[in-house]
Amino acid sequence: MRKFSNTYIFAYITALVLLITVVLTVAFSALKPRRDRNRQAEMYQQILRAAGHDIDREKAVVAFPQLAVPLTDDGRQYSIVCADGSKGIALRLDGKGLWGPIWGYAVLSEDGQTLKGISLDHKSETPGLGAKITQEAFLKSFEGKKLYDKKGDFVSVRVLKSGTSSEIAEENRVDAISGATITSRGVDEMMREITPIVKNVPLQPDNKE
Amino acid sequence: MKKYLGPLSKDNPILVQTLGVCSALAVTAQLKPAVVMALSVTVVCACSNFIISLIRNTIPPRIRIIVQLLVVSFFVILVDQMLQAYLYDVSKMLSVFVGLIITNCIVMGRLEAFALSHKPLPSLMDGVMNGVGYGLVLVVVAFFRELLGSGTLWNHPVVPQSWYAAGYLNNGLMILPPMALILVGSIIWVKNGVGDGKLRN
Amino acid sequence: MGDIFNIFVRSVFIDNMVFAYFLGMCSYLAVSKNVKTSFGLGLAVCFVLTVTVPVNYLIDKYLLREGALTWLSSGFAETDLSFLSLIIFIAVIAGIVQLLEMVFERYLPALNMALGIFLPLIAVNCAILGGSLFMQERNFPTVAHSLSYALGSGLGWLLAITAFAAIRERLRYAKVPPALQGNGIAYIITGLLGIGFMAFLGM
Repeated sequence: MRKFSNTYIFAYITALVLLITVVLTVAFSALKPRRDRNRQAEMYQQILRAAGHDIDREKAVVAFPQLAVPLTDDGRQYSIVCADGSKGIALRLDGKGLWGPIWGYAVLSEDGQTLKGISLDHKSETPGLGAKITQEAFLKSFEGKKLYDKKGDFVSVRVLKSGTSSEIAEENRVDAISGATITSRGVDEMMREITPIVKNVPLQPDNKE
Repeated sequence: MKKYLGPLSKDNPILVQTLGVCSALAVTAQLKPAVVMALSVTVVCACSNFIISLIRNTIPPRIRIIVQLLVVSFFVILVDQMLQAYLYDVSKMLSVFVGLIITNCIVMGRLEAFALSHKPLPSLMDGVMNGVGYGLVLVVVAFFRELLGSGTLWNHPVVPQSWYAAGYLNNGLMILPPMALILVGSIIWVKNGVGDGKLRN
Repeated sequence: MGDIFNIFVRSVFIDNMVFAYFLGMCSYLAVSKNVKTSFGLGLAVCFVLTVTVPVNYLIDKYLLREGALTWLSSGFAETDLSFLSLIIFIAVIAGIVQLLEMVFERYLPALNMALGIFLPLIAVNCAILGGSLFMQERNFPTVAHSLSYALGSGLGWLLAITAFAAIRERLRYAKVPPALQGNGIAYIITGLLGIGFMAFLGM
C-alpha cells in the first residue's frame, strides 16, 4: 500500500471539504427560489383550506389573490371568500405542540360570531397521536362552532377532553385527541389567542345579546 | 451480469444482511414516500460508490472513513435539497429520514466492501443493485401497510366503498410502527420457506 | 421544569428510538445475542447521545440556523447555513467519539474495558445522528431540554436492547419454525415489544 505524508492527508481533506462546501452552497442558492415558492404556496393552500376550498398547491397560488385580500401588512389577517360564497376573516394562529411549533389558520364569519373552518399543521408531533391534528375528522369538528357563549361573553372554541369542564357548552368546544394531551392543549391555547386578534379587526361583533 | 443480482434476493441487504433497517421502516406507512426513499438511497449509494471507486487510489487509508462520510453526506444533502425543491410534500413526510441515509449501513457497507477495491463501473452497478434490493423490500412492506392500513394505494382509494358499507374496516394497527417490523419478519419467513429454500441463521 | 421531565419520560417510553422510529436497528439486531454485551452497547449509545446532542444543539443554535450568526454581527441576519448541518453533525459525532475513545484509553481503563470495543461502532449508528437530527427538528428552547431528550432517548435505547437480548437468550430453548429462525423471529419479537410499549401511549 502506498504511503501518504501528513501534508498530503491534510491537503487532501481540506481540498475535499472546500470542494463539497462550494458545490453545496451553489446548489442551495440555486434551489432557494423554488423552495421558498413551495413554502409560500403551502401557506396559501392552508388559508384556502381553512375557508373550505379543497384545492391543490399549484391551483392555490393562482386562486389566492382572487379570493383573499390582506387586512394587515404582516400577512396574519385576510379577508377571504369562503367556499360557500360568504365572506370571512382568516387569522393566522401560532402555538406550541409537544415537540415543536404548531400553526394554522382560523376563518371566522364576517360578524366574528362563528368559526367557519380551520386548518392546522405541525412540524414534528408524534405520528398517530399529535399528528392527527391535521386530519380531516379533527378539523371538521371545528366547523360552525360559536365563539361566544349564550350570555354573549367571548369563550373562543375550546379543545377539551370530552366530559370535562362541563360549564362550557357543546357549541363552544370540540373533543381533544385522546392520547395527545399536550398537542391538544397547544391547539386549545392557540384558539384562545383569537381574542386579542379580533379586537384589532375593524369589524366588531354587532349582535351581542 | 449474474453476479450483480445477488442483492435482489440471495444477499438482500435488509432480509439477509440486516443492513440499513434503521431509516427504512419508518417511511413505509405509505407507498409514495417509500418509493421516493428507495430511489434516494439508490441514487446516493450508486453515486458515492462511483465517486469513491474513482478516487480510491488517492484516498489515504488513515482517513478513509472520514472521506467516505464526507462523500456520502454530500450526496445526501444534494438529494435532500432536490426533494425540498421538487417533491415538497414527500420531503415533509420523509423529514429527518433523508438525513439518516448517511448512517444507512448499506451505503457505508458497500463503500467498504466493494467500491474501495473495484473499478468505477462495476461499483456503480453494485450500488444500483443494492439500492434496488433495499427498495424492493421497502415497497413490498409499504404496499401492504398502505393497502391494509388506509385502504389506499399511492393515495388513491382501492378498497371499494361497498366493502366499508358491508362492515369492512381499515386495520389501524398497520399504520403504527411495530407492524412494519412484523411484516419484514413475515417476508423473511416467506422467502426462506418458499424461495431458494436455503436456511440461514 | 415540568416540560423537561415530560420530554424525558416521553423519550424513554413513548417516542422510543427503537420501537417508534427504528433508529439504531442495525446494531440492535447484530449485537443483541446476549444481555451483557447488549447492556454495554446500550450504555455506550446512551453516553455518546448525552454528550453529542447538547453539543450539536449549541452548534445549531449559534452557528447554523437562519439568523443564528447575529451574535457575531447583525450583517449575518440573513445567513442560513442549515444545509450544512448534516455534514457538521456527523463530523462532530465522529470527532467526539474519537475523543472519548482517547480519554477512556488514557484515564478510565475500567470504562474502556466495558465500552471501548463499542465506541468505533457508534459513530455510524443512526440512533446517534438521528438524535441530533430530531433535536434540530424539535426546536428545543434551551440546552437543558435537549439534554433531557438525549438522556431519555439513550435510556430508552438501552432499555430496548437489554429487554430484547434477554428474550433472545430465552429463545434458544424455544421451538421456532425453521424458516423463521434467526433474523425473521428477531424482527417479529421487536414488533411485539413495540406493541407492548404502545401501552404507554395513553399516559
